[in-house]
Amino acid sequence: MASTVIGAGITIEGEVTTDEDVVVAGTLRGKLSAKEGVTIEHGATVEADVTGGSLVVAGALTGNVTAAERVDLQQGSRVIGNVKAARVTIADGAQFKGNVDMDV
Amino acid sequence: MAQARTTSRSDGQGARIGSAARVRGRIHGDGDLLVEGQVEGDLSLRGDLTIAEGGSVKSKAVEAQSVTIGGTLEGDVSASGPVRLVAGAKVRGNLRGSAVAIDDGARFSGQLDCAFDLPAELGGASRNDGSARGRPATRR
Repeated sequence: MASTVIGAGITIEGEVTTDEDVVVAGTLRGKLSAKEGVTIEHGATVEADVTGGSLVVAGALTGNVTAAERVDLQQGSRVIGNVKAARVTIADGAQFKGNVDMDV
Repeated sequence: MAQARTTSRSDGQGARIGSAARVRGRIHGDGDLLVEGQVEGDLSLRGDLTIAEGGSVKSKAVEAQSVTIGGTLEGDVSASGPVRLVAGAKVRGNLRGSAVAIDDGARFSGQLDCAFDLPAELGGASRNDGSARGRPATRR
C-alpha cells in the first residue's frame, strides 16, 4: 500500500516531497520527489519534474524524470520530457517525446 | 522496496499524504483527504479532511465538508459539516462548522463560529430569529 496517494478527484499545486511511495491518480502540478516508487496511474495528469527510486507511468506526464533505478512507460501513457534512469522501458502503445539518458 | 507496482489501491477520489511526505502548495478537489505528514498551503475540498495524529497542516484557509483533527493545525477552518478536535489535537485558528466538538485532551486557541439557533428558553426565539441569534445565554 502506497503511503501517499493523490486520488482521482484531487489536485495538488505545489511541491510534494516524501521518503516513501507515491501514487498519483489525480492531478499534480509542481514538483514531486520521492525516494521509493512513484506510480502515475492511467487518467492521472502530472505536470512536474519527478524524481524517485523507480517510476511507472500509465497516465500523462509533462516534465523531466530522474529515477535511481528504473522508469517504465506503460501502454497508454503519454510522456513529454526527458527521462534519466539506468533502466528505461517504453511499452508498445506508449507515447513519448523527449530524450532518454541511461547514463551509458 | 523501490519496486513500483502497476496497479494499486487508490480508493477512488480521495488522497492521503503519508507520514513521510511533505506537501507545499495548494490542494483542492472533490475527494477526502487524510494527512499523516506535513502540509503547508491552502486546502479546499468537497470531501472530508482528517488530520491524523502526527500530521500537521499550516494553512491560511482550510475548506472541507467535515474536519477531524488529531494532529496539529495552524489556520482557519471553514467546514460545511462538523469539526471535531480529538484528544492530542493542537489547533490554533478560527473554526467554523455546522457543529464543533472539542474532545478532552485537545488543545485549541482561537474563535469558534458555529451557526445554530438557541433554544427558546435561552432567548433564541425561532419566530424572530436573527435578532436573538448569538445573544448571550446569561439573560434571565
